[in-house]
Amino acid sequence: MNRNKLIELFIANLSNAVLHKILEKAIDIQEISLRYSKEIINSWEIAKRYREKINPIGRALPSHDIEGIRNSIIKKVKVEINQRIDRGYENLDFSLVDDFVDDALKHFSVI
Amino acid sequence: MVNRAGIIAKISKGTKMDQIYLPKIRSGLNTGEYVLIQQISADEMTGEKEKTAKSSKPIFYNLKYLEPIKMQIIEKVFEIIGRESPENIIITGSFLEKGFNFNDIDVLVISNDTNLSNLKKEIEKATGIPAHLIVMDNKTLIAGLSSDPLYEMMLSKSVSKKKVIFNIKRQMNYKLLDLNLLKSKTMIDNFEILNGYEKYYFTLNLISILLFINNKKISKKSVNNEIEKLFKISVKAIKDNMAGKGFFDKYKEIYTKTQNLIFNNIK
Repeated sequence: MNRNKLIELFIANLSNAVLHKILEKAIDIQEISLRYSKEIINSWEIAKRYREKINPIGRALPSHDIEGIRNSIIKKVKVEINQRIDRGYENLDFSLVDDFVDDALKHFSVI
Repeated sequence: MVNRAGIIAKISKGTKMDQIYLPKIRSGLNTGEYVLIQQISADEMTGEKEKTAKSSKPIFYNLKYLEPIKMQIIEKVFEIIGRESPENIIITGSFLEKGFNFNDIDVLVISNDTNLSNLKKEIEKATGIPAHLIVMDNKTLIAGLSSDPLYEMMLSKSVSKKKVIFNIKRQMNYKLLDLNLLKSKTMIDNFEILNGYEKYYFTLNLISILLFINNKKISKKSVNNEIEKLFKISVKAIKDNMAGKGFFDKYKEIYTKTQNLIFNNIK
């Protein structure tokens, strides 16, 4: 798999993971978010798999990559949030997106 | 005389030989093993009956057979956790599937004391099996059973210390369903790199949500049947990573359909 494809998949999974966090915050009954199935690997773990294949591993990516990845994730998450708001979903907090994305990118040594 | 692997049973009359019936789900007394049959007096019988009534037998849900060794493990788990007097103890997950192809034992402890997680190590030490301990209060369990298909599926096949009330009216929490469905989106982004078991679990999650929305009964069996019906492929073949493009296209179609059902009701 080439580097661009790996980055594309990394973005898709991290967007999903960030969206998951935003939706969790908006849910009415937090206490029932039981993780039933340990077998279901989540987007966060898959994003990690891809990051481990994107060079440079373990340190920040070149600035042009960072900008592209960050903007793509934010855009994807906001599209998903908007899709939900249009259908009447309440309590979704747009302001969380940038911070969540930056935290995730730091976690994966992208920035 | 009745020890841990003992059963009190009545001799019944047969045509050529008399017999003693043993319950299929029992602790110890594996088939092929030798046993000693010994008569007990009426007084001993009364005493044992009282003891049995006090210790309360485990309750089985949708379980036709369980290996005797597993039953012994379950009793050990009940004994360890029972010391903390929880409201209920429920064993679930792959441990209850036939055979020994499980990685751990899933234990749901119903208690207001959420600091029981330290029992995990004790269970693991006593049984030699990794334990996945989830502690929650009864209110959370009821909320989960009424609004989360994963709870319903998880508990559909289980062994519990006390009776579990399943007859709880469903409440559609579309935000929760949206969140649960998002897990299955991972399949769409990563179909090529997932293994068969991962594909199966994403499909299981998707179909259980669809059945829940359609107010259908949810159990591992019913969800598996629905998967085979909708995708025209056996669960085994999915687990063996034999699902191809046709499966994937159908998956995307059902995912979109389910997401629309959720979005149309979300507030």
